Amino acid sequence: MSTAIKIRNINKSYGDLQALDDINLDIKKGEFFGLLGPNGAGKSTLIGIIGGLVHKDSGEITVLGKDIITDYRKTKKSLGIVPQEITFDPYFTVRETLEIHSGYFGIKNNGDKIDELLEALSLEDKAEIGPRQLSGGMRRRLLIAKALVHDPEIIVLDEPTAGVDVELRNSLWEYVINLNKEGKTIILTTHYLEEAEALCDRIAIMDKGKIVKVDSKENLINSIDKKVISIKFDEAAPGLKEELGKIDFELSDDQKQIEIETAKKDLDKILGKIIEINVDIVDIDIESAKLEDVFIKLTNLGGDDN
Amino acid sequence: MIINTITFFSLIKREVSRFSKVAIQTIFAPLISTGLYLIIFSYSFQNREVARYGIPYIDFIVPGLIMMSLIQNSFANTSSSLIGAKYNGIIIDFLLAPFSHIELTLGFMIGGMVRGMLVGSVTYLVATFFYGGAVAHPLLAVFFAILVSSIFSLFGIIAGLWAEKFDHVSIFSNFFITPLTFLSGVFYSVKGLPGIWSEVSLFNPVFYMVDAVRYSFIGQSDVEPAFSALIIGSLAFILLLVVTYLFKIGYKVKS
Repeated sequence: MSTAIKIRNINKSYGDLQALDDINLDIKKGEFFGLLGPNGAGKSTLIGIIGGLVHKDSGEITVLGKDIITDYRKTKKSLGIVPQEITFDPYFTVRETLEIHSGYFGIKNNGDKIDELLEALSLEDKAEIGPRQLSGGMRRRLLIAKALVHDPEIIVLDEPTAGVDVELRNSLWEYVINLNKEGKTIILTTHYLEEAEALCDRIAIMDKGKIVKVDSKENLINSIDKKVISIKFDEAAPGLKEELGKIDFELSDDQKQIEIETAKKDLDKILGKIIEINVDIVDIDIESAKLEDVFIKLTNLGGDDN
Repeated sequence: MIINTITFFSLIKREVSRFSKVAIQTIFAPLISTGLYLIIFSYSFQNREVARYGIPYIDFIVPGLIMMSLIQNSFANTSSSLIGAKYNGIIIDFLLAPFSHIELTLGFMIGGMVRGMLVGSVTYLVATFFYGGAVAHPLLAVFFAILVSSIFSLFGIIAGLWAEKFDHVSIFSNFFITPLTFLSGVFYSVKGLPGIWSEVSLFNPVFYMVDAVRYSFIGQSDVEPAFSALIIGSLAFILLLVVTYLFKIGYKVKS
């Protein structure tokens, strides 16, 4: 798989704040890539540098093998960036906005593509009205249509579902997944870790301007040695404490339900002890680590705002 | 390739469409103040002549009033377009798209020039009802109008990039454009000013613009039109370089 975006030794500071600290990253062509991190980690700054919104202090970035500074016309045509903030040009209707944008990217008579996007993003009946009359969700869809109007190879979605209702979120992901299946490279930043877990092939976790980990989603999740066992008993199980000994667990008030967090290697031992209690088990559930656990561990977030 | 024609013309189209959508505010409203000037001056000074030129006062001020409309509207178009784009957040559209710095400079500039020339032309049409409409050197008038509108469109780009809110644009407008225009000889001949004020006026670049356009209209001027052309042309060229540089460094739009 060839490289879609190659990032080498990128540094960026704002005064004393080191927003990006020696970032190195390869995003492969055709992959669904997640860029995660708490607020202020540097995700949007990195995306801004790739798209030409932010100056880099040092380092190099290539998009499909072309340098973003010397070959900016080609790299910008390869990129479709959906910004985090909702912006709109109040003077133009939805269709006019998309026509003007097509022109910016050197495309004339782009009616077919515009119609396709309007349909895919459920904006057909809003095509001839101004953005002030659109709801927040529709404005975000217009932003997505703007980013896709020149049919870019690489699509960057910076928090695309913030403030978007569940129905739209699902239809949006369905559309983006199809684009990815067609071979488009997707880069996603999101606060919704479940979204990243469900969608992304590979994930980079950023914190304080650095990339702290890049790996496949599976490897990241497997790197956390955690299992949560939830068991429901038929009747109260008063002998649990003696049987489980030093193992930490949470017992419900009626003593019918227990939850134990443990390492994988201890699963067998714990389950063996529970069976020895000799109380009928009604239900059992074993949950693996989630991306959220990896995220919290790598970013030392704990109680932070994410 | 410095200019991609489709990309470049899309920006001009956007700029022209933007002010055309609010034509009442951008094209016709400016005519009210200019029309009032024409009515008041043609009535108040109906028997007055400008002694230095030997022409009726109304003939004297028409070129200046046309210039004033052109200056204010060229400036207003680019400055409001850019501060509006920053305010609405769509300034990033111009940064994310594959525009070269010169395309951005010329695209915004031409948008402002079109509005300035349009308002200037309509002002001229209105003025014909007051003075007859004679133009001594029409091609020269168009040439100077193009140069002057380019200067103030470029000046408007600088103001729009520099401004962080709409108030900042009015600082440019109220403290620079209006005083320089009113003191440029729109309403009087600067050569007729007493003492040092006649010499001071020669440091006002707008004076050369008004004077050159007046020459195009009545065939007479306070200074040689070729000298004015040199000053105006040099100023336009310098501003073109400055604005291209500002777009190159992403002045106040790229962090």
